[in-house]
Formats: sequence, C-alpha cells, structure tokens
Amino acid sequence: MNKQASVETPPLSHARDLTRPGFYVKLVLMALVNAFGLYGIFASWAQEQWGILGFLVVTLIIADYVYFSKRAIPAKYLFPGLVFLAVYQLYVMGMTGWVAFTNYGDGHNDTKKAAITQILATSEVEGDVSYPLTVVERDGELGFAVVQDGQPLFGTADEPLAPLDGATVDGDKVTAVDGATVLQLNDIVQRQDAVLQLRVPMSDEPEDGSLRTRNGSTATQSLPALHYDEAADTLTNTEGVVYKADDKVGNYVAENGDVLKPGWRVGVGLDNFKYLFTDSRVSGYFLGSLGWTFAFAILSVLTTFALGLVLAVIFNDPRVKGRVVYRALFILPYAFPGFLAALVWKGMLNRQFGFINQTLLGGAEIGWLTDGNLAKLSILMVNLWLGFPYMFLICTGALQAIPAELTEAGIMDGAGPIKRFFNVTLPMLMVSVAPLLIASFAFNFNNFSLIYMLTGGGPNYPGAPFTVGETDILISMVYAISFESQKQYGLASALSILIFVVVGIISWLGFRQTRKLEEIM
Amino acid sequence: MTTSVSTGTPKRSAGQASLAPAHRRPKGWLWRWCKEVGWKHLFALVFIVYCILPLLYVLSASVNPRGTLTGSNQLFQSVTGEHYSRLMQTGFPRWMAHSLYVSTATAVGTVLMAAAAAYAFSRFRFKGRRGGLTFLLIIQMFPQMLAFVAIFLLLLSLKDVFPQIGLGQHLGLIAVYLGGALGANTFLMYGFFNTIPKEIDEAAKIDGASHAQIFWGIIMRLVSPILAVVGLLSFVGTYGEFILARVVLQHQDQYTLAVGLYVWASDERNAPWSLFAAGAVLAAIPVILLFMFLQKYIVSGLTAGGVKG
Amino acid sequence: MRKSLIALAAGLTVALTACGGGTTGTSSTEPSQSTDPSASQSEAPAASGSLTLWADETRIEAFKQLGEAFAEESGVTLDVVQKPTGDIAKDFIAQAPTGQGPDLIVTAHDGLGQLVENGVIANIDFASKADKFNPVAVQAVTLDGKVWGMPYAMENIGLVRNNKLVQDTPGTFDELIAQGKAVEGAEYPILIQQGEAGDAYHLYPVQTSFGAPVFKTENGEYIAELGMAGDEGVKFAEYLQKLGKDKILSADLGGDQAKQAFLDGKSPYMITGPWWTTEFKDAGMDISVLPVPSAGGQPSAPFVGVQVAYVSAHSKNALAANQFMDFLASKDAQDKLYELGGRAPALLESAASLDDPLIKGFDEAGKDGQPMPVLPQMTAVWEFWGNTEVQIINGQSADAKAAWSAMNDNIKAKF
Repeated sequence: MNKQASVETPPLSHARDLTRPGFYVKLVLMALVNAFGLYGIFASWAQEQWGILGFLVVTLIIADYVYFSKRAIPAKYLFPGLVFLAVYQLYVMGMTGWVAFTNYGDGHNDTKKAAITQILATSEVEGDVSYPLTVVERDGELGFAVVQDGQPLFGTADEPLAPLDGATVDGDKVTAVDGATVLQLNDIVQRQDAVLQLRVPMSDEPEDGSLRTRNGSTATQSLPALHYDEAADTLTNTEGVVYKADDKVGNYVAENGDVLKPGWRVGVGLDNFKYLFTDSRVSGYFLGSLGWTFAFAILSVLTTFALGLVLAVIFNDPRVKGRVVYRALFILPYAFPGFLAALVWKGMLNRQFGFINQTLLGGAEIGWLTDGNLAKLSILMVNLWLGFPYMFLICTGALQAIPAELTEAGIMDGAGPIKRFFNVTLPMLMVSVAPLLIASFAFNFNNFSLIYMLTGGGPNYPGAPFTVGETDILISMVYAISFESQKQYGLASALSILIFVVVGIISWLGFRQTRKLEEIM
Repeated sequence: MTTSVSTGTPKRSAGQASLAPAHRRPKGWLWRWCKEVGWKHLFALVFIVYCILPLLYVLSASVNPRGTLTGSNQLFQSVTGEHYSRLMQTGFPRWMAHSLYVSTATAVGTVLMAAAAAYAFSRFRFKGRRGGLTFLLIIQMFPQMLAFVAIFLLLLSLKDVFPQIGLGQHLGLIAVYLGGALGANTFLMYGFFNTIPKEIDEAAKIDGASHAQIFWGIIMRLVSPILAVVGLLSFVGTYGEFILARVVLQHQDQYTLAVGLYVWASDERNAPWSLFAAGAVLAAIPVILLFMFLQKYIVSGLTAGGVKG
Repeated sequence: MRKSLIALAAGLTVALTACGGGTTGTSSTEPSQSTDPSASQSEAPAASGSLTLWADETRIEAFKQLGEAFAEESGVTLDVVQKPTGDIAKDFIAQAPTGQGPDLIVTAHDGLGQLVENGVIANIDFASKADKFNPVAVQAVTLDGKVWGMPYAMENIGLVRNNKLVQDTPGTFDELIAQGKAVEGAEYPILIQQGEAGDAYHLYPVQTSFGAPVFKTENGEYIAELGMAGDEGVKFAEYLQKLGKDKILSADLGGDQAKQAFLDGKSPYMITGPWWTTEFKDAGMDISVLPVPSAGGQPSAPFVGVQVAYVSAHSKNALAANQFMDFLASKDAQDKLYELGGRAPALLESAASLDDPLIKGFDEAGKDGQPMPVLPQMTAVWEFWGNTEVQIINGQSADAKAAWSAMNDNIKAKF
C-alpha cells in the first residue's frame, strides 16, 4: 500500500516489541474490538439484520488486518474515523441517493403491503349496531358472545351468530358459558392480534356484515366496503368499482381516476431530477436564487474570516493586557446555541418593535428584515456575528504554528507590520486555513437554518407559484418546494443532490488551488 | 480601521520596537503605547459591544419578570431571579448534564480520530492521499436534508444489534456525531501538523522510536494548540446541535440542552421565553469556562514545543 | 445452531455491558407491547402493558395526569412523551411505518388529511358516541365518511376587550376601529397579529364576514372548491389593503409583540384565542371575550380548532389504545382536561357545565365557526394565503385584486 512509508519505518513496530507497554495496550484494545464485533455478528445473525452482519464481518476483518499487519501504517491512523464516517455519513448519502429515485413522501410513505393492509383496515364501515362484548374461547377457537333482546348469541369466524345455550347473562352481557372459557381483559390483551382481527358474521347474508371489536369490550357491526383480489391485484368496492394497482405511481386507481389512500413508495426514475428543468416557472426562481446563494456564501466567508483574522492577529500581541478576557468575550457569540441567536436577532431586527430600531436608532422604522436588500445585509451581519468567533479561534490556533523566527526575520529586514503580515503571516496561515475557508463556503452555501430562522426566505415574491423570497438560498428553496405544503422526500433528495454536485465541483476546484498554495510553502 | 491606524507609521514603529530605550519621556511612551497597544483596546471595546449586545438583551429578558424576545427594549428595567430558580425545577439541570456528557465525549473522540487521521495524511505518503483528503472535506458538504429519516432508520436497526448505541441512547448520539469527526477538523489539524518540522520525527526514529511513539509522545504534545481548538470547536458544535439529537433522543428524560431549549422555543403560542432566555444564559457558561481553560493551550503551544525541539 | 448462537450473543452482551459500565435504564423507547407472557403478571385490575403517547408542551401536563387516572382504571400505563408542536405529525408519519412510533398522538385536528393520506392512523368506533359530541367537533374528525380520532377540546379566536379602556363594543368593525382610535393613550385601535409570513388564521373572522370562506360547503362538509375566489374575496382583499394603509394591520406585529402591546394597555382590543387569557388575567387585567364585529356585513366565523387524540395504525397495543379512546370520551376525562387545559370540552355533557365567562365568551364568538378544513387541498391554501395577505397589507402588492386572484390561481394549480 505504501512503499515509502514502510521504508521509513523502523525495523521494529511497537506491536511486535514485547518490552513496550504499547503492545499490551494494543492487544487489549483489539481484544475488545473483536469481542464487540463478534458479539455484533452473532446478535445481528439472531436478529436477522443481514446488512449489519455483512458490514461487521467486513469491518472486523479489515480491522484485524490493519492493526496486526506490519504494512498499512497510515490505515492504522485513518481506520477509526473512516468506520464512523462510513456508518453515519455514507449511509445518509446512500439513503438520500436511493430516495431521490422514488416518490417517497406524503401519500407514498410505506410499502405496498402496508398500504393494502391499511386500505382494507380502514375501508370497513361502522354499522349502527353495537353490543357489550364477551370474548369466549370454545374448543380452542375464539368467538364473540353478545346479548340481543335478552337472547345470548355466539359466533366465530366461520359460524355466524346463533343462539347460545348454557350462557349466564348479567344484564346485557354474557358472563359465563358452559364448556367454554370467558376471556378476561388481561387475556384479551395478550391475544389481541387474534381478537382484533376476528370478524364474526352477523348472519348468513354477507350484506349484514360482521361483528368486530377494537377495545375488547364492545362489539360493533362492520361492513366491509372493499374486496381485495390478490391474484388480479385489484380492490373492488360494494358498487363494483375496480381499483387497479398502478405500480408506476404507487396507488390503486379506478377507471375514472379515483385513487385509494394511502399509496406506496415506488421508483420513479429520474422524474425528481427532471422537475427543475421541466417547470420553467420554478427554474426561473432557481436561477435567480443561485446568484444570491453564491454572494451570501462568499461574502459570509470573507467577512467572518477577515474579522476573525484581524482580531486574532491583534490579540496575539502579548503586550495587550487583558486579552485573556477579550478573547473570552469574542467567543461569547459562539457559546450561545446558534438557533437561539438567530431568534434573538430576528426579534431585535423587527421593524417596529425591535431593539435596533427602537432603542439604538431612536424609533426609526427601518425594515431590516422586510426590505429585500436590507434583509440580505441583515443576514450577512448576523452571520458575521455568528461566524467570526469560529474564524477567530482557528486563526488564533493557526497563528501559533508560525515560527517566531520568521516574523523576527521580517523585522530584521525592516518590513513594517502590514508588510510582514501580508508577506509572512498570511501566506503561512493560508496553508492550514484555506481548506477551511472552502469548507466554510460549502457550509454557508447550505446554511438552511440561518435563513429559515431569520427571514424564512422573505420578503416573498408576490404571485410566485410557490413560497419563495428574495433571501432564499438554494437549499431553503428546496425546502419550500418539497416540504412547505406536501412532504416530498423524493424531490427534496433529488434537488439536494443537484446542489451537492454544484458545491462539490466548486469546492473541488478550490482545493486544487489550495494544493498549489501548499506546494509553494 | 486597523490598516489606517497602523499604515501611517509602519517603519517608525518597527524601528522603535527594536530600539525602544527604557528611559523615554512619559509622554512619548504613552504615545507609543497608544499607537501600538492602546488602539487595540479601543478596537476590542468596539467589537465587544457588537458581540455582547444581543447577549445583554437575552440576559435582560432572563431577569425581566415578563421577558420576551421582542418588545422588551429597555434593558434591565426590572430584575428578578425568579426564572432562574424556576429553571432549576424543570428538566434543565438534567439536560445540562446530558449535554456536557455528550459534548465532552464527542470532543475527545473527535480530537483523537482527527489527530490520528491528520498524522497519517501529514507524515505518510500513500496512494490516494490527496484524493482522500479532498474526499473527506467534500463528503461533509452533502446536504443533510434527509438525515433525520436516515439516522432514525439506521439507529432503529442498530438498536436490535447493539442496544447501547441504538435509538434513544446518548452513546448512539455520540456515535452519530463521531461520524463527522473527520472532514474539516482533519484539514485544520493537517495544516498544523505540516508546520511541525519532519526533522523532529526523523531524529526520534533514529533513536528507535516507533510511529506510535512519535505520534503519542512527540507530535501530540507539539500540536496541543490545535488539539485544543478542534476540541473546543467540536464541543461547541455538539453542544448546540439539536436536529439530529431530537431524532435520536426521543424522550424528554434524555434530552440535551439544545433539544430542550428548542422544544421550548417551538411552542408557537406559549413559549416560555424568559425561562428560555435564562436557560440560554446558563447554557453559555460551560463553553466560556472551557474556553478560558483551553486558552493557555491554544496560545502557548508551539513556542514551548519549539524550544524543546 | 441458531439457539446456541443467541446464547453466545447473550453471554457476550453481559460481558460487554459489564465493560461499558452499564448504560443504565434509558429504556423508554423500548417497545411497550405486552405480548411477552412474563409481562402480564402484574396485579393491575384488568389489562396491563403500556401505551406511548406524544403530546406537545402545552398538553403534556394534562395528559400525564389523565394517564394516571387511566392507569388506575385500566392498569395500562401511559408514557407521555413531549414533542415540539410542529414535529409531532412529521415525526409520526416518518416513524409509524417502522412500528417504533407511539401508540397515540394528541394534536390539533387540522393535520388529519395528511395523517390519513399517509395511512398512519386507524379509524375508531364512534357511531354510538357521535350525538354526545359537539357537531363541529365531529365534523372536524370526520374525513371520507369515517371518524379518525377522539375530539376532546375546542378552541377558536374571538375579540378580547380590555375593559379598563372601553366598556361597550359597537356592532361593526369600522365603528370598532373608530372607537379604538378615540381611546386616549392607546397606540392601536385593535391588535391582530400578523408577522412577516402573515397570519390568515387571525384574519379569518374578518374574511368570513365578507362571505368569503376558504372552501365552499355542501351538506355541512367542505368540498374542494375555493369559496374565496369570487368578488367577496376581492372585497375582503381591498379591505385588507385599506387596513394596511391606515396602519391598523402591520407585518411587524407578530404574536409576541401583539400580546405584549395588549398587556401594556396599548390597545383596547385584540383578536386572539384562549391561550393567552390566563396571562392577561395574571397580569391583573379586566377582560371580556366577544364575537368579532362584522366588517363585511355577514357574521364573522372564526376557524374552530379541535384537539384530538389519534390511534396509530401500527400500534402493537391497539386494544389498550382504543380503551384509552373510550376513556377519553368519558365525562370524567373531558372534565379533567377542561380543568387542566382551559378549553371548551368537545363532549356536550361536559360543555354544559362551562362556568368560566371567558371560555363562554369564546364559545359565543365561535358559534358560527366552522372547523379548520382537513381537506388535503388545505396545505396548498396555507402555502399562499397568509403570504398574499401580508403582501397586500404592507403594500408590496399594490393591486389587491390582482394579488388576490393570483393567489387563487396558484392554489388551484396545486389541487
């Protein structure tokens, strides 16, 4: 895997040197990992979780290979992080990818089997008849005993209700039956699946319906309104209307277009991806938002980085007394949960009641969040507030890596502080920080929660075919399209994948630039 | 602002810095102090106002008997500790404990895994190294729109096999967070690792140290500033996260602070804003304390290491 | 073979749990069905087991207490889990199909269409109880001819008056505004919360007084045909524009701001619901609740919201869940929820003993009210409705008529 590395490695790895404590630490750790893995393999076998089983087997084999082999040294350091990455990040990606090709969402929430069960279960019409119920077990078969006009009746799934001999009746309820067991509520609960599914025909005539119970103590008349024909995969109602399964849309559909609810998930190919390009009204707004999304992401990175860097450089000066306290205060915005900060800013920026207008600006009525351009400015200012402590932190950290000799050399050359900063400090800093700026760009590109909490995308465009506003970035527009009214996970996935492709390509190009930076150093 | 102040006299200030005689006249000393240090205090004050104004507002709402997040614009017009004592009777103390546990565990795990990965990328040359680095960063950019469905299903299946890291477990949540341990953190550390001269490793190798000994014994000490930074970033990121946490932790007995506060805030009609504000104020304290504690590591690292090396 | 593996796995679990220091009893999400025979040996009076119920922060306390009463009666414990209001339906729809969702949820009735469309709730037996309930409540839980949940409380908005500032209320909305303007020291003649995304719900009494309900009705049920697309709707839109120009309505005035302004005595009137009256009274205000005066000549009819409990279609303890539904339909339970939640009970017998003048006032204000529609088409209405209104109010849409018909066209396009 890596020739260079193994050439450089010393002849003895700690794993083999029995005199070093590291060997025993590793042995114990690997024993634990193996125990955990084996346990998981057996448990997933027992639970029939085949996906997990396969993953565990493969991972365990790789783990043992990586840590017991003399080669693959980088893998020893990468492996733990990669395992977590694979489980928790790649899975989400895979799931999103899969959903993007389905119609998963409102109305298509589950499997076909579940849909049929639910359609049939809810198709029964509740009749007017209801009795206090006694559940009885006779000859190993469950049945219902009820009292009609003082006459005890009994029936099972196969035998319609018929007069019952040997029953003790108390008021309107059967309390005991000779030669049979009356089930107490406790027993009913335990056998509830059977009890809940039991339908006792009221008579020989199917039109009379049957008795069912939902609570174990009352029987109600139930008239099935749909008949399922498994072979033809159709549902027929009492009026003879036939609903055919349409596996392209995931619904039972009648000739006249009527649809039974719920439907089920089906693959829809590229339909979700095409959506953007087929509806010209939507794609127009999408393109409009694209520009703002870029402006927002780039400006957010630049402003937060500039402020964070300036503060980091200034307060890296040991002569400034009290900088320990200053730094802690600069971190404060970061210490507050972000969504809270957005809520607070939203309140403070309210045109009529907000702190900014009322107290700071003496009662001005500036529409910080209601005027399109000001709303954009407000978003950038709030994001600067939220984001500069992060940049301040990483810049402060990265500044420590710049050897003092370099700065001193600059002083010897007679370079001023500004020149020193741009010639020495900044390029050194960029090596470690530039990739993070790209990451920060990507993060802001998809910074849904800020937009959602602060302006909700507004002010909205009047008359748009969906709720879209001047401050909507692409991802918040995806939310508006696919979640605002109907939840359309399939569409949301497809659109977010498209966004990812855009951000991914831009970032990838960006990284190629930073590589050059690194080479210069 | 910075530029204008210092551009005026770059040369002179540099010259003075190196030649500064101790017996300068007090007036000149003060002038020089103002020019080189004093304005920094001024600068700090300006930004501190920007930083803490919204927070003062929250603090004021938290001690206002009728605090809301808008409309109570006269700061500190009346003060009561009532909300803080009421807060203690809610689930808040428990949420706080959960948050500290989850965030600390995540931060430690993240630091270890990201540092190990950064070490591999910085010190070894292997196939796919550059691509791997880029891949790590780009994969984190994937929009998490469906994460709440995916994570739920994943932890549901995991629950059958490993109940301890399944749905409804804090360990499960920590594991989810550790899924994001690589990525930007690795990059940050990678850059920092690269600034540590390779000669240090090589000297140790000649002395017979193994790669693990170099990593744990030498490198990890030299990079302590960045460990502290990543630890803090990870702690803060986890501490304020509620989107995944509320999927994993389904029961209010298990909530973390961010989830608890989010649930309060999402009450459209009767949100307890003053309790919420008080909770937010208290929530910020651990982060500040942690930063104060880590600050000395963040700013003192390489100088100390450099001397040793 | 399989058995020995399971035994081995169990052994390892014990070992691992010991190593891990024991992740102690956070077992609340464990499935709660009692199919395991060993679980049934409790001395509970009848059934046993437990049910999980999701409720939001405003309802959780009431249902915790109700759960204790239910446990005493039935032996079934109710595990009440708190969820944010906006997450209940969304999370339930996502989680119910896995079998891991709750057995019951409690929410407002307006999400019914979505719950049915996704097949996550089961219908209930209701025929024998139907005439014991307020007809509006029954209409609210009925969809496609079936009853899907147990209504327990109703709420609607009305006109809340600050009796310190004015004591009598005129018959029309315009007169009310004139009166409000004349009140000394009052900044607003009336407070109707809007916010940047608008709030069609709080404007609905005004809208209906123009004879422009959101959907047309047939035999007392909504049909999927817009009732506000005609001239009546346009008149209302123009009225909105006028209120906006006169600064009676403002997008800056969100719920919190409106509440605060009313608390501060800055307005004699506020259109709001029962959720804030406790706070007003606690602040020492003397208030009355009245019907909203008509602006367009016809009676004002607010939306009636009904609080409902639903049974999951995927509940593993459906029997106990239905027993809980029966329990919820009892007078004792409805009385208790009235006492704890302060909303008019849906059960007529309980509603008859209403004694709180404010709740009675809201009841009166909602006497012409219709339930908030549960038609699936309603989601399309919500998407555009408030937004369009707020754009007319703040002048962003200069032509009220054009904006209103664009809204109707957009809504119809989504049907």
